[in-house]
Amino acid sequence: MTGGQPNIANQIDHLFRHEYGKLIAVMTKAFGVPNIDLAEDVVQEAMIEALNKWTYHGVPDNPVGWIYKVAKNKAINILNREKYSRKYVSEVAPHLQSEWTSEAALKRIFTDKEIADDQLRLIFTCCHPVLSKDSQVALTLKTLCGFSIHEITKAFLTTDSNINKRLVRARKTIKDANIPFEVPTGSQLEPRLSGVLETIYLLFNEGYNSTSDDSLIRNELCEEAIRLMNIIVQNPSIKSSNAHALLALMLFNTARFISRMDELSNSISLEHQDRTKWDRKLIKKGLTHLAFAAEQNEVSIYHLLATISAQHCTAPTYETTDWDGILSLYDMLVEIEDSPIVQLNRTIVLSKVSGPKVAIAQLKNIETHPSLQGYLPFYTSCAVLYYQNHQIKKAIELLNTALKLPIGKHRKSLINNKIKEYSKNI
Amino acid sequence: MQEFMIFIKTKGDHLKDLSPEQQQAHVQKIGKYIGGLMESNKLKGAQPLEMKGAIIHGNKGVFKDGPFNESKEVIVGYFHIVAENLDEAMAIAKANPMFHDAEGTIEVRPIKQMEGIN
Repeated sequence: MTGGQPNIANQIDHLFRHEYGKLIAVMTKAFGVPNIDLAEDVVQEAMIEALNKWTYHGVPDNPVGWIYKVAKNKAINILNREKYSRKYVSEVAPHLQSEWTSEAALKRIFTDKEIADDQLRLIFTCCHPVLSKDSQVALTLKTLCGFSIHEITKAFLTTDSNINKRLVRARKTIKDANIPFEVPTGSQLEPRLSGVLETIYLLFNEGYNSTSDDSLIRNELCEEAIRLMNIIVQNPSIKSSNAHALLALMLFNTARFISRMDELSNSISLEHQDRTKWDRKLIKKGLTHLAFAAEQNEVSIYHLLATISAQHCTAPTYETTDWDGILSLYDMLVEIEDSPIVQLNRTIVLSKVSGPKVAIAQLKNIETHPSLQGYLPFYTSCAVLYYQNHQIKKAIELLNTALKLPIGKHRKSLINNKIKEYSKNI
Repeated sequence: MQEFMIFIKTKGDHLKDLSPEQQQAHVQKIGKYIGGLMESNKLKGAQPLEMKGAIIHGNKGVFKDGPFNESKEVIVGYFHIVAENLDEAMAIAKANPMFHDAEGTIEVRPIKQMEGIN
């Protein structure tokens, strides 16, 4: 028995993160995809009931079991109370509505395997191509990850009402499009999965590269992206080397996340990171998934990015990094995706191999590209190149431009420190 | 594959001779049986009926309300299943533990399949 409101709220929060998405997935199957809002209501009500009860009576021995039981009862009650006022597009709904079959049906939809499958189905539902990418990310965070609207707002640097509108629209689109609750099969699986991976990668990058100062939210975004990827790669119906590669990439990047937390951007900080702080367990997991990814003869962007990240993770020191190897990986990456950001990152690596002068010459090809304007790492990385090339004034100029970007206070102060440091060496 | 209706009929409270413990065990057995049918995708639906209602006799638009007598054998519920053939449907009906501990009648009836329209 634990007393005290904050503690209870903490425990609920913990439960939320772990059980929310599972319960929503099962409830969505019970009520059918068009009633996804009802699934959310039931799970939220169960959580609120837990908060109220546990605050006065303490947390039960099996809190997860408790929440599940409450959610089950609520589901059965709603299915029977609203038997005719709602249409349940669900195979199990009729079974859940009969006294003879409801118990057996509940038992069946709550097995570990069914829950895992339902989570995968819900991932494909939330990342359905009828929804915009922004809506996919928001809906995934809300239903699968149990984020509150306010937390999503913080992650996206927008307003609560914006996110709320986006979610309402997304649910309506799902209802209108009559999306089935299933994992696509056959020739449909590949393109749909690739869309899902894209969305989860977006979600991950929102945490990894976000301009938001809130490191707690950013960490959680990365953790959730990894959790969703684990659901995908662990399901026997998905055999995708791309998924393993993406998961490996996320693990490698997250392994270095903590130590780069206070730095400006990955490209600047890598040199100064304390490599003993890197999470070796995550790196090891990443290497395992990278090995799975290599089993099929496929080379995607994820494969290349993960291999590059693995090179960094396994280099004992910054100086001993295999820059030649990384450069050749970037050359392959440019073949698949010749974007200004890939070019920028390649240029930084090029400076390690051939010196800042050669790299700066390369910059000329991309520096006016619109997609780099306003992209913080562009200014900070270029500043480093110019500084290394003894063009300190140009470096400071770039950092001053970066200060005008809509970035958090914390980053601003880091950039100001850098300007001070550079100014001393003019 | 064919669909069947299995009507369950009993006379009065067919479980009245069972002790509360036996009744509980009985209910658990039935739950397991239904779970198994679902698992093998044989069950389309199953529902119990209330022990009340009406019996109506109609003849050329003239209806006579008869008494509903639950002490007589009445339908208490149905199982809607799919099976290969009548033999399998009968086997499924007999595997229902409902009458392993008590007495009752099971009526197994294939649902008439719609003929193709030319």
